[in-house]
Amino acid sequence: MNKQEFLNQLRLGLRGLPQEDIEERINFYSEMIDDRIEEGLSEAEAVKEIGPVGDVVSQILSDTPLRKIVKEKIKPKSPINPWIVVALILGSPLWFPLLIAVIAIVLSAYIVVWSVIISFWAVFVTLVASWLGVIVSAVYSLISGRILAALAMIAIALLSAGAAIIMFFVCLGATRGVIWVTKKIVVGFKHMLIGKETV
Amino acid sequence: MDIQLKRGLLDVSVLAAIKDGESYGYKIIKDMKPYLELSESTLYTILKRLETAGMLTVRTAEHDGRLRKYYHITDSGLRRIEEFKEDWKEIVSIYRFVVKEEENE
Repeated sequence: MNKQEFLNQLRLGLRGLPQEDIEERINFYSEMIDDRIEEGLSEAEAVKEIGPVGDVVSQILSDTPLRKIVKEKIKPKSPINPWIVVALILGSPLWFPLLIAVIAIVLSAYIVVWSVIISFWAVFVTLVASWLGVIVSAVYSLISGRILAALAMIAIALLSAGAAIIMFFVCLGATRGVIWVTKKIVVGFKHMLIGKETV
Repeated sequence: MDIQLKRGLLDVSVLAAIKDGESYGYKIIKDMKPYLELSESTLYTILKRLETAGMLTVRTAEHDGRLRKYYHITDSGLRRIEEFKEDWKEIVSIYRFVVKEEENE
């Protein structure tokens, strides 16, 4: 890929950001490529050293606050037609509840996901609690001389301890998974706002 | 590494790269290469952050028929490096304490 192709694809990937931000990024990468060429690299090598355009775009998007992208997205391209404002106001009894419903659905989906995580952790806490409880009763049985009962209790305690340890890693994995997915969704949402991903 | 700590370290490294005279993007990356690999996007973000914080100034000058941006450290940037050195002494002494605790275990 030559420099111009790289910059064109970068511009395509970044459309949706404020115009001045795009220009600044383009100039920055253009300078970086030129400096490498000056160093003796061929144009293709210089572009290759910068890395795949898709990666560059993704990193820029994750560095750009979501607020900035949304602000650019809702900025009117042309002066607002007063009739649209009137229609929006007249239509508000219709779209406003719909908007609230959509937000509520998204929010509840997120809460449901976290509820699963919380219930996982609750199982873990229960296992730990039952382990502690059984230990206490094992000691009690031992003191009151019921050796057989005490042995049974210790066996149960070992089982719940084992289950608790496994559960702990399951919980940890699930929590990390949800955080990872959330990050992916936010980056995906940014891509969606900006338009199609670069080729 | 803790992300906040890493961000702070990168900021100071870039300041150190321009401490002895103004420099430009590719030269900063090259000068830092023996010590740490820095991607273009990361450098851009750091330079922007340092500029906003007033720790460096930017000027655009013509070079070989094209434009190039030069970054110049400010007094506040120099102070940041000194602060970092002081902070680091404290961190080293905390590190020694942590290691000592482990050895005694």
